[in-house]
Amino acid sequence: MSNVGVIFRREFRGYFDSTIAYIFVVVYLLLNSGFFMSGFFLSGEASLRAFFENLPLFNIFFLPAITMGLWANEQQAGTFELLMTLPMKSWQVVTGKYLASLAFYTIALACTFTLPLMVTSLGNADPGAIFTGYVGAFLLGAFYLALGIFISGLFKEQIAAFIVTCLVCLFFLLLGNDFVVAGIDGWIAGFGSFLRDHVAFSSHWNSLQRGVIDFSSILYFLTMPALFLGLNAISLERRRY
Amino acid sequence: MIQVKDVTKVYGPTMALDHVSFEVGKRQILGFLGPNGAGKSTAMKIITSYIAPTEGSVTVGGIDVAKDPISVRRLIGYLPETTPLYEGMQVDQYLRFCAKARGLAGARLNSRLDWVVQQCGLEEMFKKDINQLSKGFKQRTGLAQALIHDPEILILDEPTTGLDPLQIIQIRKLIQELAHEKTVIFSTHILQEVSSTTDRVIIINNGRIIADGYLNDLQSDARGGAQLRVALTAGRDEVERGLISLDSVAQVNVVSEAEGVVTARLRGTDGVNLRREVGQLAAARSWPVMEMGVPEVSLEDAFIEYIRRSNEQHGKEARHV
Repeated sequence: MSNVGVIFRREFRGYFDSTIAYIFVVVYLLLNSGFFMSGFFLSGEASLRAFFENLPLFNIFFLPAITMGLWANEQQAGTFELLMTLPMKSWQVVTGKYLASLAFYTIALACTFTLPLMVTSLGNADPGAIFTGYVGAFLLGAFYLALGIFISGLFKEQIAAFIVTCLVCLFFLLLGNDFVVAGIDGWIAGFGSFLRDHVAFSSHWNSLQRGVIDFSSILYFLTMPALFLGLNAISLERRRY
Repeated sequence: MIQVKDVTKVYGPTMALDHVSFEVGKRQILGFLGPNGAGKSTAMKIITSYIAPTEGSVTVGGIDVAKDPISVRRLIGYLPETTPLYEGMQVDQYLRFCAKARGLAGARLNSRLDWVVQQCGLEEMFKKDINQLSKGFKQRTGLAQALIHDPEILILDEPTTGLDPLQIIQIRKLIQELAHEKTVIFSTHILQEVSSTTDRVIIINNGRIIADGYLNDLQSDARGGAQLRVALTAGRDEVERGLISLDSVAQVNVVSEAEGVVTARLRGTDGVNLRREVGQLAAARSWPVMEMGVPEVSLEDAFIEYIRRSNEQHGKEARHV
């Protein structure tokens, strides 16, 4: 476990070595709360529903930026060879890096806590729904980031990793969209619904936003990232041949 | 300490290594010599388990690299061709990271850190950002990283590239000192590097080992048998006739003739006999011997000769196919 910790600490610190991390957090907050606030007083509703509704699409453009460099930067600096000859298993390096990206996202997410504070002071907000909403936001981030680190390992340039990660995240988002589901069902009967129910995150995400923490949702948001991290570790091992 | 058995590595259509076998004993320094792209780096990457061979096996310290790469990595300190540095970190942060990643902690970590910083001459740079360092200090930081866990084996891929002459001498000296207690493999395409650091050399070309041995042997082998340079005070014709009549002499070339002294270059089968017979002949005929010696073949000559032979061989095989 200490191996994971060593990698985690270096990677997490690495985010703050440049000013990009600070700019990232500020822009993330400004845009996120800006969009939320623009509609907040018109709706006259003391809830974070609008904030969480935007998040799956919003994160598609932000989270791939956190993961795009995780492997591409190592390749460019030549440190990849150092990491791969350390006495550690591939999965330990992968997990350390992944947890660093997740910690960074958690900080950015925690910076939005001013919104629930404001909402609860202005009206009668439901603290349970806000709590599960944040649990959902964390789990959704864990999903996107795991996908992102896996894709980062497949590309030598971080821009390529960024674009492909955005597209694949968008793909998973669209799998839960009713129009897309109906379209696929029109082609192959039942296939669109199958993808929505078993592959897409929308149903789990929606139930969390309604204030329900379902066992199947937790299971989904644990297995999918684990799958992507496993694929990442396997692709690192395969590289040797 | 290191056994490489019949290792082949194929990258797509290119054969980077072609049935390469060699061994390195404990506390030996081995120099890998060869033109760029010959397969030196590939061989080192396979020993460090960074890449796996297509065929063949490698054991390090008795451990099969394919079966237990993690244990092998513990034994090895590795400096890849591209110095692996995190530009955003300070030298001390970087070395601490490498030390912890190798399982060092506490007092042991601090004492190792002090040692590598002192050995690699990094005291002044300890608190500097890596991206502010000169090429030489970056290279030394890379070397410090390879030494931090006091490994039994050091693998250094072109450790002196980009350094100035003074730094090169320092690094060479450090390698020689380290070899008292460690097994060292280093690669270079600079010939002086080998002759000033090590005795044992492997020359690689086109993914094959074309020479493996001690410097002196390789040099005399490249000469193609024994040679002798001799200067005698006598007439040119009688010298030529006398020398060629000796059993051990195969060929006589008169190099110069001045002031009654004839200088000739002899080629023969056996160096000791050659010298003895020439000496006896000169004594019997009362020719004063002005000079006698083995002409120097530089490492460059040996290297070029080996590469020439190997390319010739390669060409022949290619024509057969």
